[in-house]
Amino acid sequence: MKKMKNVRKRQSAPVRELDTTRRLLIAGGAGGLVFGGLVGRLVNLQLFNQEKFEQMAEDNRISLMPAIPQRGLIYDRFGEPLATHRTSWNVYAAREDLPNLEDTLDRIADVVELSEERRERLMRMFRQEQRFIPVSILTDLTYEQFTRLSVLRTQLPGVTIESSQARSYPRGRDFAHIVGYVARANQREIDSALDGLDPKVPAQKEQRDRLTSVLKHPNMRVGRLGIEKELDDWLAGAPGYHKFIRNAQGRIKERLNDDEHAPKSGKDIHLTLDAGLQREAIRLFGEETGAAVVMDVASGDLLTLASVPTYDPNDFVNGISTADYNVLREDERSPLYHKAYDGTYPPGSTFKMVVGSAALREGVTNPAETVFCGGHYSFGNRRFHCWQRRGHGRLNMHEAIKHSCDVYFFEMARRLGPERIAQEAKAFGLGHSFELGMTGGATGVVPNDAWKRGRFNEPWYDGETINYGIGQGYLNVSPLQLAVMAARLAAGDGRQLMPKMIGSGPDIPDNQPYGDLPPLEIFQRLQAAMYGVTSEPGGTARAAGDINFQGYRMAGKTGTAQVRNISAAERATGVISNEDLPRRLRDHGLWVGFAPYENPKYAVAVVVEHSTRGSGKAYPIARDLMHAAFVMDSGRTPEYKIASGPSDSEAI
Amino acid sequence: MSNYSQTSDDPLSRIARLPWLMLLIILGLAVFGIAVLYSATITNPTEASLPAVHAVRVGIAFAFLFMLAMTPLSVWSAISYGAYLGALLMLVGVEFFGATGGGAQRWLDIGPIRVQPSEFMKLALLLALARFYHQQLTNGRPRFYHHLIAAIMIGAPVLLVFRQPDLGTALMLGATGAAVMFFAGLRYWVIIVGLIAVVFSAPLAYFYVLKDYQRERVLTAIDPSRDPLGAGYQIQQAEIAIGSGGTDGRGYMNGTQSQLDYIPEQHTDFIFTVIAEEFGFVGSVSLLLAWAVVMGLGFMIAGRSRSHFGYLVSSGAVVTIAFYVFVNIGMVCGLLPVVGVPLPLISYGGTAMLTVMAALAVICATNLDRDRHLSISGLF
Repeated sequence: MKKMKNVRKRQSAPVRELDTTRRLLIAGGAGGLVFGGLVGRLVNLQLFNQEKFEQMAEDNRISLMPAIPQRGLIYDRFGEPLATHRTSWNVYAAREDLPNLEDTLDRIADVVELSEERRERLMRMFRQEQRFIPVSILTDLTYEQFTRLSVLRTQLPGVTIESSQARSYPRGRDFAHIVGYVARANQREIDSALDGLDPKVPAQKEQRDRLTSVLKHPNMRVGRLGIEKELDDWLAGAPGYHKFIRNAQGRIKERLNDDEHAPKSGKDIHLTLDAGLQREAIRLFGEETGAAVVMDVASGDLLTLASVPTYDPNDFVNGISTADYNVLREDERSPLYHKAYDGTYPPGSTFKMVVGSAALREGVTNPAETVFCGGHYSFGNRRFHCWQRRGHGRLNMHEAIKHSCDVYFFEMARRLGPERIAQEAKAFGLGHSFELGMTGGATGVVPNDAWKRGRFNEPWYDGETINYGIGQGYLNVSPLQLAVMAARLAAGDGRQLMPKMIGSGPDIPDNQPYGDLPPLEIFQRLQAAMYGVTSEPGGTARAAGDINFQGYRMAGKTGTAQVRNISAAERATGVISNEDLPRRLRDHGLWVGFAPYENPKYAVAVVVEHSTRGSGKAYPIARDLMHAAFVMDSGRTPEYKIASGPSDSEAI
Repeated sequence: MSNYSQTSDDPLSRIARLPWLMLLIILGLAVFGIAVLYSATITNPTEASLPAVHAVRVGIAFAFLFMLAMTPLSVWSAISYGAYLGALLMLVGVEFFGATGGGAQRWLDIGPIRVQPSEFMKLALLLALARFYHQQLTNGRPRFYHHLIAAIMIGAPVLLVFRQPDLGTALMLGATGAAVMFFAGLRYWVIIVGLIAVVFSAPLAYFYVLKDYQRERVLTAIDPSRDPLGAGYQIQQAEIAIGSGGTDGRGYMNGTQSQLDYIPEQHTDFIFTVIAEEFGFVGSVSLLLAWAVVMGLGFMIAGRSRSHFGYLVSSGAVVTIAFYVFVNIGMVCGLLPVVGVPLPLISYGGTAMLTVMAALAVICATNLDRDRHLSISGLF
């Protein structure tokens, strides 16, 4: 058949010689097969797997970015912000969003200075971090840097230039120890936050990743010290997520509203402290170092809790350099130390009211009994000296407190014994770590036999009891405890007044009272003796009486805390005066007091470390501080009591 | 039978005899293409002018189509060898003086004009083969050595284009040429042996002829996840776009993959992803069907041609168009390696559009002159 066709040459209808129709149909059939194959593929992709691919498209499109909650603010007694926010422009990026890391850094370095060292550190950080964790490239842009980078924005896909609320402490130094500061979460903090979440369980791993990306977020800060740390849960709020639509280049196209995952702002805190008075306290110290505490006798509100010197917590928010930190750490005046709350000092003669109270309650003496002071006191084969080498002669308790006679209290201590003294000290608030709502808090030492056996594995020696009477020896208390003692003395009603620093905010665990306080008549005698110190002839601090406010007089008691042991040899050659000693060996000067004497309102405690004039440096500070407290605070209602509860609308 | 040759040469009646259904479908596809291109480029400000440019090109291409469609088949036949030799010379010229672009030598600068001879060769090869076989068929069934000569006519440009290197065009030239040989009556057993040879030589070609990056593309087509950030990324994103379109699509300008630029080259070679995502299965199959109808009509025109030349050139032109459409969609769907074949009339870019328009014009011309015999006198 085919041969036939070849032989036949049909010019008129040449096409007929070839099986053209069949060949076209074969070609069409082949085309149909290809067509079918393509449709089959489309059926598979679009009809059978639509959901899967829709989900993948959704995963592409939506990116979750941690939304850092606004931290609660901290205010002082009268609504002055102590911890607030300022706008800070930051640049950050996560590696997974960057098309090319080196390119990106190059482009940034084109317009803002990026040292080779910083660049290398960034490269390292980007390599070390998980792909989805944003790494901070620049913080706190200057206006010029910001405008330059903004112009470049379209060429920096995946890079976020964002304003954030940077923590700022407008009263920086004045409240450094109290408010503390926030910082980038360190590895230990991250680990403890992730504790208990198993990375092998998918749901928990997701939670871990989310928590990590929040904690490592360039705008995230955690409380590192002070109130910021202790009350972090209250202040921090709850992080959320922003949903963004991103294009393939990582550029954000749209932010989706998602209330469910919105971050919850932290709550504010109002302190009982008065920023003005706090500043005044610090100013009054001048070149001296130490601590001052002012406490409201009626409520226990702390108005001032100052430690001097201090530092600027703002330096810590973006990370302080090691060099700067070392300067602070090695300063012998220890600016980082929260002396008022964490520091402990021998109370010295300020302890004499406690001993007096115990003696009167126990009946080992009576107000009229006198003790002879010849300038020294012999016990066993040891001699204990009164600060007044000439001796005070015969004096009763009132006189002994007024003149601060040591011999009288050596005798009282001997009569009472360490257990009874310790019991009374604790009833007055000494040796107790008060919970105020910030980190730290010293317990101090109120020694007795059991304490000494626990600490030194040695029994109590009777000789140690004698020094106990004048607040020396192992006894160590914090300035806050001294203020509590002063306030309880001032209140005089047997209430175990507790210090309080949070005006409105989270609940702080209650401070547990210990023992009980003496009856009113004993308080009256002690108060009168303290009045004598400032206001009667022979008082040791007569210059402290007049606080220059409506004729109010301050009652109080001086104290000198010995830092070194005075040797017999020194005594023989004459004790070197404080001024001539190196600073670290000088005595501390102390003062506890309250005013006005009639119907006391404020109690005060001042410790001047290594003072050049013993307590002579402490009570002028206390007097001026008391004056300031009356001028600035008395008669003013705290802001948090005026406003009906904490208001969030105040947040900037 | 003689009445067949009595068709009128009056221009108006020629226009009336154009395959209007086919042309209307083509026009519809072109308009649809402009709309899709608009959606594909709307999110990218630097591409904002592309739909307008494309629209102008479509207009020019249609003018070009009508002009060529009205050209008598005898003229097409007359220029065929000249065009082939000219294209071949230009390909040789590219080999020695060609401009390099995208790692391959494809362009030839002639004065201010930059031409891509390989594209021109697609049509020229078709014309030359049709002319060659027309002559043999008029004299009787071609003999085996005639097919050998045809194979050499095909092989020379394929080799030159492959060396550029442009695998896609080389395959396309080879496939079109082979198709013309088939339509010209190559015996079925030869075809079967040839197909078996292709199947068995493919692995050899894969290992010894292809370059590394070409092998990589083949591997990535088989398993896109092996290179999720590189070549596989495009395939994966394309699959996500197509799949998420579902039955009726996410709506015009509403495809997230398309609108958020997840698919590289979505306005050129990968524009089918935009159609599939925004118009779904219904839209993508409709597009395929539209092209299938065009091809079917092309084959019908080829089958009705009274001249071997018209039959061969039209059926070959259909294969050229089919190659564009099927290879493009096959590659975008992840069935074929990414070889850089655009979707005619829809993808942004003028070259492929002109080639396809010329192919359509040849089919139209065949339709107009379907009842004419062509002389076989002279080689040129």
